[in-house]
Amino acid sequence: MEDYRAPVEVQWSPYSWNGGTVLAVSGEDFSVIASDTRLSEGFQIYSRDFPKTYQLGDNVVLGSCGFQGDVTTLNKVIEAQLKIYDHIYQKKMSCESLAQLLSTILYTRRFFPYYTYNILAGLDSKGKGCVFSFDPIGSYEREVYRAGGSASSMLQPLLDNQIGLLNQTGVEKKPLSVEKAVQLVTDVFTSAAERDIYTGDGIRINIISADGVDIKEVPLRRD
Amino acid sequence: MANPFEYNGSAVVGMIGSGCVAIAADRRLGIQGQTIATTFDKIYPMNESLYIGFYGLATDALTVSSRLKYQLNLYQLRENRQIKPKAFMHMTSNLLYSKRFGYYFVEPVIAGLDPVTKDPYIATMDLIGCPMETKDFVVVGTCSEQLYGMCESLWKPDLEPEDLFETISQALMNAVDRDALSGWGAIVHVIEKDKVTTRTLKARMD
Amino acid sequence: MATDGFYLTSDPLGAKCDKKETTNMAIGRTLRPIVTGSSVLGITFSDGVMLAADTLGSYGSLARYRDLSRLLKVNDTTVAAGSGDYADFQYIARLFESLNIESDSYCDGHSYTPRSFYSWLTRVMYNRRTKINPLWNTVIMGGYHDNKPFLGVVNSLGVSFEAPTLATGFGGYIAQPLMRDAYEKNPSMSKEEAQKLLEKCMTVLYYRDARSWNKYEIATITTDGVTITGPMKLEGNWEVANYVRGYD
Repeated sequence: MEDYRAPVEVQWSPYSWNGGTVLAVSGEDFSVIASDTRLSEGFQIYSRDFPKTYQLGDNVVLGSCGFQGDVTTLNKVIEAQLKIYDHIYQKKMSCESLAQLLSTILYTRRFFPYYTYNILAGLDSKGKGCVFSFDPIGSYEREVYRAGGSASSMLQPLLDNQIGLLNQTGVEKKPLSVEKAVQLVTDVFTSAAERDIYTGDGIRINIISADGVDIKEVPLRRD
Repeated sequence: MANPFEYNGSAVVGMIGSGCVAIAADRRLGIQGQTIATTFDKIYPMNESLYIGFYGLATDALTVSSRLKYQLNLYQLRENRQIKPKAFMHMTSNLLYSKRFGYYFVEPVIAGLDPVTKDPYIATMDLIGCPMETKDFVVVGTCSEQLYGMCESLWKPDLEPEDLFETISQALMNAVDRDALSGWGAIVHVIEKDKVTTRTLKARMD
Repeated sequence: MATDGFYLTSDPLGAKCDKKETTNMAIGRTLRPIVTGSSVLGITFSDGVMLAADTLGSYGSLARYRDLSRLLKVNDTTVAAGSGDYADFQYIARLFESLNIESDSYCDGHSYTPRSFYSWLTRVMYNRRTKINPLWNTVIMGGYHDNKPFLGVVNSLGVSFEAPTLATGFGGYIAQPLMRDAYEKNPSMSKEEAQKLLEKCMTVLYYRDARSWNKYEIATITTDGVTITGPMKLEGNWEVANYVRGYD
């Protein structure tokens, strides 16, 4: 009869979940990538002004959320690699190459992963809008739109419906305009902030075109 | 069977419109990943303007729906009148709470019109009967997060029956398409004061 | 050979602590904090930054050391305030010291900025957690450089961010709402207002945080450099104590 058990100490975890949602949409000659600006852990809001999008070049932006320690580190690693690339080849890295690089970096930590959800958006080498989405260990795919992070499961089906036009019959697929994309991003983030406590405070929207990156900030609920 | 709520897979939504309510559910019955049936209805009519749908363990849903129908029949014989949705909600809540320490693995969605005033009514509750009444929509299911995302964006006040049907159908279908355990067809009931329109939806079967 | 907790080494900075040296030893890790400091607070004001920490070093629930300084002057522009394991904080202090010694040895007139100290510390904290051997602290760093205030925080996992008001531990729940509210209403408060606010927060923490103490220090960082004042005493208002019944 096991009447006594040794006390079990709670195992320390090298990870924490700091929330955040990222979302990217690509159009013909532009792409839009947005994130909320809340940084939190448990029931504490650490910061209301912590966007999770990082500009890595003239027309490429990375959205990254999950464990903030890994997000910061991953960014520093990428930036170091980009500097080396620049020094060797005397040019900026293309979006496709950056996607492959990110995948490789993530996979170096296959057995102690960077606990981060990444979405890369920008213009490809032909000037078309592109979005690459990653899992935490580097599996990646080019897509038209993708939501990642805390409220991804709330946003993704709506994008399927409104951009992918899934389950809609008798509608013709028109090319997405920048205005429509930005409006949609704003609307879905507002919805996500209603139900997800790890999403809120504000949205940072990066509009990437041949002219560079235009930034728009929209407030979200702060409770 | 780690989590009984994710054993069979399901998704149920209730929505309020202008003088009408809608309740919709997917039609899959599975045993974890394996699909057993694609015509399994999770919504049960309780009277001509009152429906209840269940998310959770299918065998418990069957039991609870039968016991509720039994109690409801006794109620209607005794009172000689139609039950109000709110009273029926409490009946359900009491039944679930009577099994507080050995519960049924179900979360119901109740949708109906008041038999007298014809006011629309929706409610849901947890597995031990803690109720939640709302004025917009209620969702339960293995894809509840997806459903919340869809409903929060698509729903607006005072939808007419046809628009309510479109809204609830789009919300359900796009949500279940991002869930491996639910989907494989759907059914929608739109309850109005003089009629109930039931439609089965043509959906992705993969 | 230490079996649980930690071992002592003649090389506390870990300079030689590579695989070869440690293979014959039990691997020493901080499994839990021992002597701990509670919340530390930080706020930016019109032309500087102010940090506050009480002087208690707790040993579990025992108020063991009642006069420990948890504010560390890193250089003339930077202060670090540490909560969590006090030994680990002292270790961090030594790391800063060696960083300064190296920096000073170049005699080029340069020194690290508050942000560079902070950025460096985030790497130390993150690298230690990645070795599954964390430094058990949450450190707030405050400084003033380039006519701009700096205030940042980093924890034992390497989670780090900057904000105009900061609080660690219990203070995150109790002091941070008070400070955010005051800051939103008056973003460019004077030095006196900032000090008043910190005193109020420390008082509330003393009321409600069982691991707090009524002696505290305040560090002020402005263009004039770093001044650490205190320890000061928190008086508080105990009038309500007369109405408490049922415990005597």
